[in-house]
Order: sequence, then C-alpha cells, then structure tokens
Amino acid sequence: MLFRDAFKTATRSLSHGKLRSILTMLGIVIGISSVIVLMSIGQSAQELILGQVQSIGSNLVIVIPGAPPRDRGFSPPASAQGIVITSLGERDVDALSREPSILAAAPLVSGQAEAVYGDNNKTVSYQGITALMFAVRNFTVGKGLAFTKGDVDSANHVAVIGPDLAAALFGPYVDPINKIIRLKDISFRVVGVLAKGGTGAFGVDQGTIALIPMTVAQKQFLGVSYFSTIFVKGDPAYDIDFVKSRMTSVLRQDHGITDPNKDDFTIRTQADVLSILGNITSILTLFLAAIASISLVVGGIGIMNIMLVAVTERTREIGLRKAVGATDGDILQQFLIESVLLTFAGGVTGIAAGAAIVGLIYFTLTTFFPSIGWVFAFPLRAVVLGLGVSGLAGIIFGIYPARQAGKKNPIDALRYE
Amino acid sequence: MIYVQDLKKEYRDEGSTLALRGVTFSIEKGEFVSIMGPSGSGKSTLLHILSFLDRPTGGAYTFRGKSSDEMSDRELARVRNKDMGFVFQSFNLLSRLDVYDNVEIPLLYSDIPPARREALVIEAVRSVGLEEKLHSEAGKLSGGQKQRVAIARALVTDPDVIFADEPTGNLDSQSGLQVMEILASLNEKGRTVILVTHETQTAEFAQRIIRIKDGVMESDKAIAVHRIGRGHLK
Repeated sequence: MLFRDAFKTATRSLSHGKLRSILTMLGIVIGISSVIVLMSIGQSAQELILGQVQSIGSNLVIVIPGAPPRDRGFSPPASAQGIVITSLGERDVDALSREPSILAAAPLVSGQAEAVYGDNNKTVSYQGITALMFAVRNFTVGKGLAFTKGDVDSANHVAVIGPDLAAALFGPYVDPINKIIRLKDISFRVVGVLAKGGTGAFGVDQGTIALIPMTVAQKQFLGVSYFSTIFVKGDPAYDIDFVKSRMTSVLRQDHGITDPNKDDFTIRTQADVLSILGNITSILTLFLAAIASISLVVGGIGIMNIMLVAVTERTREIGLRKAVGATDGDILQQFLIESVLLTFAGGVTGIAAGAAIVGLIYFTLTTFFPSIGWVFAFPLRAVVLGLGVSGLAGIIFGIYPARQAGKKNPIDALRYE
Repeated sequence: MIYVQDLKKEYRDEGSTLALRGVTFSIEKGEFVSIMGPSGSGKSTLLHILSFLDRPTGGAYTFRGKSSDEMSDRELARVRNKDMGFVFQSFNLLSRLDVYDNVEIPLLYSDIPPARREALVIEAVRSVGLEEKLHSEAGKLSGGQKQRVAIARALVTDPDVIFADEPTGNLDSQSGLQVMEILASLNEKGRTVILVTHETQTAEFAQRIIRIKDGVMESDKAIAVHRIGRGHLK
C-alpha cells in the first residue's frame, strides 16, 4: 500500500470521528503545552537572573575564606557549612588594594538579624561593609544617601536598607529616611534606601538586605576582626583571568603559602557564578519539563486506549481489508499513521497553546509587575522537542494497538459482531 | 485451476474439531460451482481455504499449480488481491465511505497506479448498474444495492475467481435474483465463480453442485443450466 493511500485512509478515518479525535488529542495538547510553558518560564527566569547578575559588571571578583573545592563543581562556602575561617583580614584588603590591576577592594561580614520598626519586623540579612563597597558593587541608593567613610570609622549606627525591607517595615506612606530601626536591639538611623534592582552581585537578593558600617557589624554584632568576603573590582583594562591570577599571587604571598594546593582562600569571578547559576537554572528547567512530561505520558496512554477501542470497533473493516489483499504491515501502517497523526496534531496544537500562554504570562507580568523585568523567552528547542516527542508518543503508544490490528485473523475479523 | 486433494481442517481451540475430513475435487477455469451443505457441514471452511483466507491442516490445495503450503502470508494476500474477488453475505461495506471509496479498497493494496484507478472503479460500478450511486454513502443504500457494490468491489481488480459466501442470504428474493444474475453473467464472460449456499434454488445457478456434510464430500454433480427467466428464488 502506498504511503499516500495509507495517509489518506488514516485521515479519513480520523475525520469521521472528529469529536473523539479532538478529545483524544487533548491529553497530548495539555502535555506539550505544559512542557513548552515550563521550559519557557525556566528560560525566562534564567535569562532574567543571569542578566541581572551580568549587569553588575564582569570585572567583579570575590574572595572567600577556605580552600577551593578539589573538583571543578560547586560546593557551598565554608561559612555556609558552619565552619569559621578567619583567614581574610585587613592586611589582605590593603594588599589587594595596592595591586595595579585592581581598582578597589572592599570587605564584608554578614549575618542574620531581626529588623524592627514599630510593630513591624522582618528577618533580614545584614552586611557590614565599608563605604567603598557602594562603588565596588554598583549599589544604587534610590532614596537618601549612602553612609560615608566617616560613618564607618566612627562606627555610627546608620543603615542603608533594601527597597523590599523598607516596604515591609515602613509601608507605602512612611518615608524611611532618618527613621530609627532596630537591628539586634541596636538602634540604627536609616540614611538611604537602595534602588529597586532585584538580584545583586553574585546572585544575592538585595531587596531585603540591611547595609551597616563594617566597624559596627564586626565589633558590636559579631565580635570578630576578620572578614567573610572581600569584593574586588578589577581594572577593566586587564583581562579578568589576569586579575584573578594576580589576586592569587598577592594573597598567597600575604598568607605565606608556597604550595598552591594549600590555599586558604577561594577566588570566584562573575563568570564562575554565572556558570553555576546557569547550571542550576538549567537543571531547574529540565526538572520542570520532566514534571510536565508526566501529563504527556498520561495523554499517550489515552491515545493507546482510544486506538485499542478503535481497533476493536473496526475489526470487520480490518477483516475486509485483509481479505481483499492487505498485509499485516498494511494494517499496522494505517493504524500507526492514525495514532501519529493524532499525537502530532496534538503536538502542534499544544505548541500553539503553549506559545499563547507564554505570551499571556509575558503580557501580564510586564503590564502589571513591570519591576520584575520579565523577559520573553520561547525556546525553539522546546518546539522541536514538542514536535519530536508528540510524533514519538504516537509511535510508542500507537504501536501496540496497530500490531493488534495487523495480527487479526481475517476470518475471525469478518465474523466479528 | 483449483485442485484439492484429501483436504483436512482441524480446529484445536477447545478440544479437537475436524471441520473437513478429506475432500478431493478440482475446478477448471470458467466453471460456476456451488458448494452446498447444512449449517456446520464445513462448506464455509472449505471456501475460506479455497480463497486463501485460511490454511488446511492436512491434504493439498493447489491454485494455478502452486500449493498454498509454499506461499507466505504476504504471497497469499497478493493472490487474494490480484486473482480473487469476494462477495460476503453481510456485504462488508464501510458504511461511512461512499460507493467509489468502497469499490476502490482492493486497488489500494494492488500494484495498479493511482492514475488508472478511477477508470477501473467507474467501470466496475457501471457493470453492476450503480453508476448513478457512485458518490452515495454506502450505509444509505438498499440491501440489494449494497451487494451489487460488493460485487463491483470484487470485480475491480479483474480477478479470475469470485468467491461468494451466501450472497443472497440477507436479500429479498428480487434483489437476490438480481445478484445471482450478475454472478451468472460474470461467469458467462469467463470468470470462475465459486458459491457457498444452503439454498438449492440459489445453488442451481451453477453448472455443478458439490455437496458437503459433516466435513465429507457427499456428491459432486453437474446440472443443466437454464438461468434466463428464473424467478423462483425464495
């Protein structure tokens, strides 16, 4: 039987049960559109996060205490594992600041505290920084001012807070500037509020942070003299890898390290972080797509079920076709084309529905929540995947019913009531 | 053309049933043969084996000098398509398709190129006098018309043999007579017709009647042919 004839026969059979065909397709439509939407959301989120991190500047490098991981993968810093490493100090900041390929180096200590204003409170991440940090990390103060070197040197109780924290503590009607908030039961005067910007350097959300002078954080909050991180802004005239290698040399010299395997610090560039974030969001996207594909399997089983019913209903037709010369292969081909046509049409409809939903999400988020800065992403690989998977589902879930049809004995089939 | 020797068919579904217990006969090209017998006699089983829809479990069946044992299922399907036409008691038309599409079905499985099919279908439909119904839905035709469409479908590949299994069984006497006259005229034009029936009057359209009972051939007799003007079908 010519493929053309088999195709024509299959389309004619499907068109005679339009409602059933549409309902059967629905499972695949939902499955494919779910995969498309979730992959698209995943990619949009990835582009959004990476875009925000990139906007900080590619010449930003951080130094964290503790040895770098032995493999090339990502592992949490020692501080996050509860290990206190005191290897980074003032001497390192000074040494790095003297390096010609470095524009500025600014240290940081951090911790958790409850911020309180009146009856409002919120658990925040506070960061003890020097005044230079505002420039190093491109912090934009949207309201009020940044604190100064004088504030840090004098250990003044001043704070610059993130916009989300300001909203949580003060609401929409109270101006936070010069208001007194309490962090760890110590009063701080709010001198500035960061501009809305979402994610800060190295993927840290800056909406809910509280920035306070380094001296206050070290002496009054933590009682330490070391730093948990040093942020370094490299000179854009130099290649970032060169800056990184110079920093390594400076710190090794500073720490008296001769064996490179015994480094007690780790240097990460934005590129490292982007790569890690990229990996995490990719895995997340795949995970979402895997969940969505469960509905595809359910849809596929629906196709198989309906095809089995169709084979039973059309037993006499199969018997007749075999009697007048159809081979097992001809019958198998006809039913397989029917199931692939069903799933493929479902796939195309699913892609169209997915595109419409993605467009709607984009429209909604950009219209009603413009501050998120949502980006439109419609991954072509999802379209290719959608078409491929739907076609494949037709074969996988159609092959069994089609084989059942092909194997039917013509005499039994002709006698079927 | 057809040679059957000591043909046996045993069904082993639940216990063993011998449907045919050694049947021997031959049919020459151009003959019109009726196979008669009561229900359960084995006549339909014999027709199925002769038309390559089933295989014997014993004995030999040779069609045009070639034994069915030597042919694969694919080859049997090819012979059914090219050399055999089928007319069933229950018509077996696809009711949702029109007359044209029903008659075209055997051509879909043949080597005949698509460009030649239309002419063959129209010719076959015309030969049974239904050209005005060419694009009518098969399910909406009368019983007699349906069987004539089935005959057109059997003719469309220009086969040498037409197998008819109780072709008048679901028809009124007038329609049954029309169908039998069409089959008789096909035989007069040189086609071999093998008819299975339990009705004597229908069987008498043939030149020869083979009677089967309990899987054994009771008789094989030539009869006088006087078809024209027969209006005595029940």
